[in-house]
Amino acid sequence: MRDTIRFALNGRPLAVDGVPSHTTLLQWLRADGLTATKEGCAEGDCGACTVLLGTPADGTLDWRAVNACLVLLPQVDGRAVVTAEGLAAADGTPHPVQSALAEAHATQCGYCSPGFTMALAALAQRPERDDTAILDAIAGNLCRCTGYRPIVEAARNLPQVDAPAADASLAARLSEWSSEGLAYSAGAGRFLAPVTLAEALRLRAAHPDAWVWAGGTDLGLRVTKRLEVPGTVLFLGRVAELRGLRESAEGLEIGAAVPYADALAALTDLAPAVGDLVRRIGAAQVRNMGTLAGNIATASPIGDSLPPLIALGATIDLASPAGRRTVAAEDFVTGYRQTVLRSDELIVAIRIPRPAPGTRVAAYKIAKRIDQDISTVSAAFALRVEAGRVTAMRVAFGGVAARPLRATVTEAVLLGKPWTADTVAAAKAAVAADISPMSDFRGSADYRRLVAANLLDRLYLETTESTAPARLEAL
Amino acid sequence: MTAEPILRARGGVHSPVAHDSALKHVTGEARYVDDLPEPRGCLHVALVTSRWAHARLTGIDAAAALALPGVRAVVTAADIPGPNDIGPIVPGEPLLADGLVEYVGHPVAAVVARDYDTARRAAALVTMEAEALSPVLDLREAAARAHYVLPPTVFQRGEPGPAIEAAPHRLRGEVMVGGQDHFYLETQAALAVPQEDRDMLVHSGTQHPTEVQHMVARLLGLDMNAVTVEVRRMGGGFGGKESQATIIAGIAAVCARVTGRPCKLRLDRDTDMEVTGKRHDFLLSWDVGVDAEGRVLAVDMTLAARCGWSVDLSPGVVSRALSHADNAYYYPHARLTGLFCKTNTQSNTAFRGFGGPQGMMAAEAMMDHIARALKLDPLEVRRRNFYAPGRDVTPYHQTVEHFRLPAMLDALLASSDYDRRRAEIAAFNAGSPVVKKGLAVSPVKFGVSFNKPEMNQAGALVHVYTDGSISLNHGGTEMGQGLFVKVAQVVAEVFGVDLDRIKPTATTTAKVPNTSPTAASSGTDLNGMAAKVAAETIRGRMAAHAAELFGVAAGEVRFAAGRVMAGNKVLDFAELAELCHVGRVALSSTGFYRTPKIHFDRTTNTGRPFFYFAHGLSVSEVAIDTLTGEWLPLRTDILHDVGTSLNPAIDKGQIEGGFVQGLGWLTMEELVWDAEGRLKTHAPSTYKIPTARDVPRDFRVDLLADAPNEEATIFRSKAVGEPPFMLAMSVWLALRDAVASLAPAGWVPPLDAPATPEKILLAVEAAKRS
Repeated sequence: MRDTIRFALNGRPLAVDGVPSHTTLLQWLRADGLTATKEGCAEGDCGACTVLLGTPADGTLDWRAVNACLVLLPQVDGRAVVTAEGLAAADGTPHPVQSALAEAHATQCGYCSPGFTMALAALAQRPERDDTAILDAIAGNLCRCTGYRPIVEAARNLPQVDAPAADASLAARLSEWSSEGLAYSAGAGRFLAPVTLAEALRLRAAHPDAWVWAGGTDLGLRVTKRLEVPGTVLFLGRVAELRGLRESAEGLEIGAAVPYADALAALTDLAPAVGDLVRRIGAAQVRNMGTLAGNIATASPIGDSLPPLIALGATIDLASPAGRRTVAAEDFVTGYRQTVLRSDELIVAIRIPRPAPGTRVAAYKIAKRIDQDISTVSAAFALRVEAGRVTAMRVAFGGVAARPLRATVTEAVLLGKPWTADTVAAAKAAVAADISPMSDFRGSADYRRLVAANLLDRLYLETTESTAPARLEAL
Repeated sequence: MTAEPILRARGGVHSPVAHDSALKHVTGEARYVDDLPEPRGCLHVALVTSRWAHARLTGIDAAAALALPGVRAVVTAADIPGPNDIGPIVPGEPLLADGLVEYVGHPVAAVVARDYDTARRAAALVTMEAEALSPVLDLREAAARAHYVLPPTVFQRGEPGPAIEAAPHRLRGEVMVGGQDHFYLETQAALAVPQEDRDMLVHSGTQHPTEVQHMVARLLGLDMNAVTVEVRRMGGGFGGKESQATIIAGIAAVCARVTGRPCKLRLDRDTDMEVTGKRHDFLLSWDVGVDAEGRVLAVDMTLAARCGWSVDLSPGVVSRALSHADNAYYYPHARLTGLFCKTNTQSNTAFRGFGGPQGMMAAEAMMDHIARALKLDPLEVRRRNFYAPGRDVTPYHQTVEHFRLPAMLDALLASSDYDRRRAEIAAFNAGSPVVKKGLAVSPVKFGVSFNKPEMNQAGALVHVYTDGSISLNHGGTEMGQGLFVKVAQVVAEVFGVDLDRIKPTATTTAKVPNTSPTAASSGTDLNGMAAKVAAETIRGRMAAHAAELFGVAAGEVRFAAGRVMAGNKVLDFAELAELCHVGRVALSSTGFYRTPKIHFDRTTNTGRPFFYFAHGLSVSEVAIDTLTGEWLPLRTDILHDVGTSLNPAIDKGQIEGGFVQGLGWLTMEELVWDAEGRLKTHAPSTYKIPTARDVPRDFRVDLLADAPNEEATIFRSKAVGEPPFMLAMSVWLALRDAVASLAPAGWVPPLDAPATPEKILLAVEAAKRS
């Protein structure tokens, strides 16, 4: 395995060593004098540190906007990074995104502007340019000055722009580097990036205290906010067996290292409601790095992906040197921040069965803000009504207990009953037996109880004939 | 081939030119304090703060921190050479806590280390012992117990007591309006660099360089001339970097003095939010007598402000709240009482509007209360209460002149199709059991000038070089609002040259002394005028010299389109500059301006504190989900009065940005402290400001046309920094309107601000029970 970090910065290849392995890309860039990339929060919520990260794929580079504050420097090994300083043409002509923003009066204090520039530079490479695509592209970027209108307007007028030029030889070199394993160490820290599952499992067993790192969008906060120093980071992003996404008649299998962004289309295809919910996990920068497996493994009481996985009857494949096993999604998280995962185990994949014909799948997220917020309450339902009766129903909630859970009492009240307002009223009363919410800054226990139950009303209205809107998205 | 002569220079006043740094913003070339190259030997500072809301410190143990390799010093109150006090109005606000800590986050010590990471890790190793005292954390409790940082203050006109008693209707109500974190994207930062003679140069992200200079000089025991404060730009300020930037700059300067090395203090987001003050939350209550048509006859209001642990700028904030508790409405008899409540939380401070928004919320909540309780149309009630001839004296005894809102309202109702939409919404709500819509109009009348007359002054320094390029400096600071480009436009206009001939330079206390903060929306009014005076002084000398050279009267020398015309002689501006130099004419001048007409008696709270008023109106339509309390802003129409705009593009940006910031304040930005006084919402993961999706999907902003300021302001423009912030009140009122649609007429929604989904749902539940 290689022991030096190699990547391309603004088009130039370079090698780095001697930097502590938990240094973030943002810290490294700024210390190096590239100060366009700003720190606004160091937790992936403001987008001021957005850069483009290019990953070798099929002989070219796949460019994504990411938060440099949550990327460890060794994570960019074998990849290319472009910052706002590197976006202009060689002769100094500003990038079309930069001209568009400046001309549209889309900067005021300017501190968020390099981040918006990079988020829109990612968008500019894509053909979709409707308002939904624009708002999705900048949902992870906060601006406190402009009110966003001129930024959106600049984005609407963008020409399609080619990806940052990477000459063929650079792309080939990056591809070569990224196909090698990396064992980087500096000081007390170690960053291990194996390329095969067998090697990853061996390292996992050898380093039971290692931080298992997929996207790092949650674990990264322990480094930037709690100042924890990981002894060993085991990075899974390069393990080919964990990067697969397989669609079949039975369902969908999502490898543990597949970022949300790459799974989104397949999830939407499987159940549009789940796609809509996943589109509200973090923002583009987070979804370009973060993974479903990581969201599950962190075992947050809220963890937006678990309720729909539970409702759909998903299973999780685990592996260790001793072998493999499969766990139902609803059994994976055992308590507050606790899972069934053993210290020598890794999540390999998540399998989501295709809903049976006639199944109505709904997934709801209630938060203070639409984008880039953590749920106060989330809920997912998989309902089948035949001849007016509920023949199948799975109900799952997040944010209402120490862990996301399956609401078995509520399900029992519904199963076999006619799908009517009266039945729903009875089910709403049963919700209280399934959940045990607490009060915090996101909402009171009473509010959570009320909303969790009311979401059954929403489901009912959305599955019955009604012309009136059952929620705001319908307007 | 000769091009057509350009008749007008590019970028003078009234043209929509871009922000001077726009391209530098997007390329990253624009530098903020933390981006400056670090001087040799630069050390980094991290704060050690109190974990108690109220306690007497009995010991600080820094041994473990000092033992960490790379740590150079741990600085405490004992290390401050001069008086340990940075109170901006009232003394008694230590830079570093000395004995007593009064909130969770109170800075106690500063760790200085060779790098930022080491400083932060070492700060976590400093331990403190303290004897806990009982804190007051709740605003309502502080108000009830008369726990104040200052005694109450009263604005009064007439005798409201008997008039309320005699009124046909008497209504009592209250509303709680939450605070707001500034959430400037650039957290607070300062870099202090020791100079010769024990002088100190401080690069500070501050709206008030002069105050930082004064405080650093006081803390270090130096004369003011030994301290220079420089600020090129800030990544947002919004008031948060006015008085409170002195905390950061002061600590950096003391650390630099103690270590003899350049020291940088940049707060991480959590520390910034835990240490610095915010917008004051207010408990607003009223006891009002009205006639059958909803006209106010007399009102007795109490505005209780959470000041936090210290005075800071609260006297100004509460005074402005009281002077805006009328908003656009005439109160024949009024008593307005301001309470300075003390709580063991961050010391609240200036924030865009400076108390004005909270005062206006009292007026608007009361108007909504009156209309709903009396089953009248809220818009009609507002119109009936508008200031009008003969009904035009404010509770602080200033006569309202040039009141533009009635005509603006007619125009906005027509352009926003208000009546038709009002009817459509009623029809929609009748057929929609879950989703309900609401619609509301709110006016803004905002007084422009600092409430303190002596603060309404400014200076500028202009140099013309022999190549015709111009250097511009003034006391105002650039925080994104476009002040630098607007003042440069003024100078370009005076000299008749293209805007690109003017270079605005970093604000520094070494060039223009004794400045006021860039605050109170006054930046352009004051500094634009000062720069105009400086430029006109130089132009006058140049004209006199040209007149002498070319044998015409000085009054016949014209400056336009980069040229100078003196009789038949036409020459480039640069040529005349060179000729002036040869002729030994001074090409540099200061300029000074003070706002006329204003006066205010702080003992009686009467006078004419405001030179003029800025006006605005908004109509907002929202929808709420009655199952979850979620809501959406559907459409907002704004008509805003900026006089004759100096730069319509910049002004529109202020209006849109101010509105969205106000929308955040009133709907989603919620500050939550736990029972121990710890702020639980201290980063964007927990404190939610609006994103692009939270802007009304249909958002129409117009500047009032053909509306020069009647007062002689800079090219007849009006201030625009703060007034648009309050346009967001129509969103909050529309949410109330949507909730009220669920209940019978006569019911008043119990909806406080911020109207989060939870608060909306609770109000919906109350409506269903009514």
